[in-house]
Amino acid sequence: MTDTALPLQSQADQRAIAAIRRKNAVWRRILRDPPAAIAALFLVVLVGAAILAPWIAPFDPYASNMRLRLCPIGGARCPDFLLGADNQGRDMLSRILFGLRATLGIGIIAVVVGGGLGALIGLSAAYFRRLDQPLMRLVDVLLSFPSILFGLAIAAVMGTGLFSLVVALSIASVPSIARIARGAAQSIMQQEYMEAGRAVGLGDGALIWRYLALNCWPTILIYMTLQLGQAILLGAALSFLGLGAQPPTAELGSMAADGRKFLSIAPHVSTLPCAAIFLVVLAFNVLGDALRDALDPKLRQ
Amino acid sequence: MTTEPLLSVSGLTKHFPVKRGIVFQSAVGTVRAVDGLSFDVAPGETLALVGESGCGKSTTGRLVLRLIEATQGTIRFAGRDVRGLSRSALRDLRRDMQIIFQDPYASLNPRLTVGETLAEPLRLHGIASGAALRRRIDELLGEVGLSAWHALRYPHEFSGGQRQRIGIARALASQPKLIVCDEPVSALDVSIQAQVINLMQDLKRKFGLSYIFIAHDLAVVRHISDRVAVMYLGKIVELAPKRSLFARPRHPYTQALLSAVPVPDPTAQRARIRLAGDVPSPLNPPNGCRFHTRCAYAQDRCRSEEPLLRPLQDGAGAEGQVVACHFAESIVPPILVPENDPPYARRLAALRKLSAAA
Repeated sequence: MTDTALPLQSQADQRAIAAIRRKNAVWRRILRDPPAAIAALFLVVLVGAAILAPWIAPFDPYASNMRLRLCPIGGARCPDFLLGADNQGRDMLSRILFGLRATLGIGIIAVVVGGGLGALIGLSAAYFRRLDQPLMRLVDVLLSFPSILFGLAIAAVMGTGLFSLVVALSIASVPSIARIARGAAQSIMQQEYMEAGRAVGLGDGALIWRYLALNCWPTILIYMTLQLGQAILLGAALSFLGLGAQPPTAELGSMAADGRKFLSIAPHVSTLPCAAIFLVVLAFNVLGDALRDALDPKLRQ
Repeated sequence: MTTEPLLSVSGLTKHFPVKRGIVFQSAVGTVRAVDGLSFDVAPGETLALVGESGCGKSTTGRLVLRLIEATQGTIRFAGRDVRGLSRSALRDLRRDMQIIFQDPYASLNPRLTVGETLAEPLRLHGIASGAALRRRIDELLGEVGLSAWHALRYPHEFSGGQRQRIGIARALASQPKLIVCDEPVSALDVSIQAQVINLMQDLKRKFGLSYIFIAHDLAVVRHISDRVAVMYLGKIVELAPKRSLFARPRHPYTQALLSAVPVPDPTAQRARIRLAGDVPSPLNPPNGCRFHTRCAYAQDRCRSEEPLLRPLQDGAGAEGQVVACHFAESIVPPILVPENDPPYARRLAALRKLSAAA
């Protein structure tokens, strides 16, 4: 095939290609965007702190000392408590670290479970046209329930607690991710390579996994990151209403609820957990946006 | 045709329903994309399907492969009834029948490396695994003029011509007997077109492939095909060996199509036939002969009676030439393309000379 051979590329060329690939790696593109880099680093620190909470927390989050009740930040009564003490005289910093652990854990499990289920529903609806109408109408039904109402219903059926909170948040994450996944998968279904895969003789499983899912996952991942912020917020809201974590469990939402009675005399008890929720959700939203920019080749400069 | 045809299609029909409504859909009409096609492909033969866009060429290619299910008709491939095959039998069929797509940018999965893409048919049909799989991939890449290390790269790292070679390598992987080429070069630069066409011809000779070559570029068709079927609005209007079709086209539509081929010779004397108007909608095709609305020779009979594909009477046509026109015998074919040295062959000859010198 002398007339069709291509010029051979040297080893130097191959090294250059590898360098370009490394330079354009997703995490590098995220780090080049300052707000995203800050959000990513912040989340790494927070997640690390949440995971390591039992080891790095300076005090036991459940040990109360009534003499230190509502001690303000930097108060003379509690020089060792960096962020003061709550209404039971417990160390706020330790409680926030443990609260973060619970809140993040609940949010992540809910989004992974609910998002996975939603992605499966969305991909199936796009791939098997027959299933599209039934599945998506089911998703419409789910979407028409306010999430708070969902939480209430599940708490009523299963009782309050962390497990029913996770279930409620998972179900709340399903419909929106199912819709996003279906939209992304439908556009992939139109691509000629889907037809090429069928022409090769691949079965449904291989086509859904290697063709559809592999091409849709950036969109789904981005949306799951954004959804994580929502799930954390909703989880905190349900706990605030007393439907999720039960006292004395350290969870940011229930901590905010407990502290609100003392807002005028010891504002830090309620505002610190709220600030933690705010920062976590903000960081996830910024990171989700940055992921979208980094993973979408159309937005690449 | 003395030998048994490899592929035999008869009465192939595809009607797409046109639906209205979101939840409760109702059919409000049908697009007759392909309407009663019959043709054969012999082993080692290249049959070209030509026609304007929207005439059903690509649909035909996909129907033959059962990428789309036909509404009616029979497809026989190497003794098997394609339309009656079960799912697993269909997978075996796809080992013997492959397709090359038009758009090399859209027909490769962007998330799989070239090696992974080529490994799919090999693994699926149990052709190779392990070290043999790697060797076979290297071999396939070599076959289409790429290098072994290209296997580790992703489609977006290749040019259009290179990607089309990857598409060809994928089609070749399972060593098929028939490849449907759906406008394989129309998305490529002219110089790359020549390379890919040459490659396809070399492969055909080497592996004894049959092609169904779907195209609208008549110069390419003239270069590569053995027989040509001209389609208009879902029907074949003329089917003839290449030489006879280009020398003496008998259907008025074929004549018009050929007269539109540009000739790079300003002094050439040739007739120009201009067709008025657009192709009628396949939603509501004309009665009788589908071409009568734009045909200069149309008479009353053409408006009421549909012409069938038939050989010309009194031996007026060439061997194997069939035409769907009531008046094919009386229409004098104009001189369309200069007989000697068709432009495409000249272009290819120049390219061959260049690459031989290099």
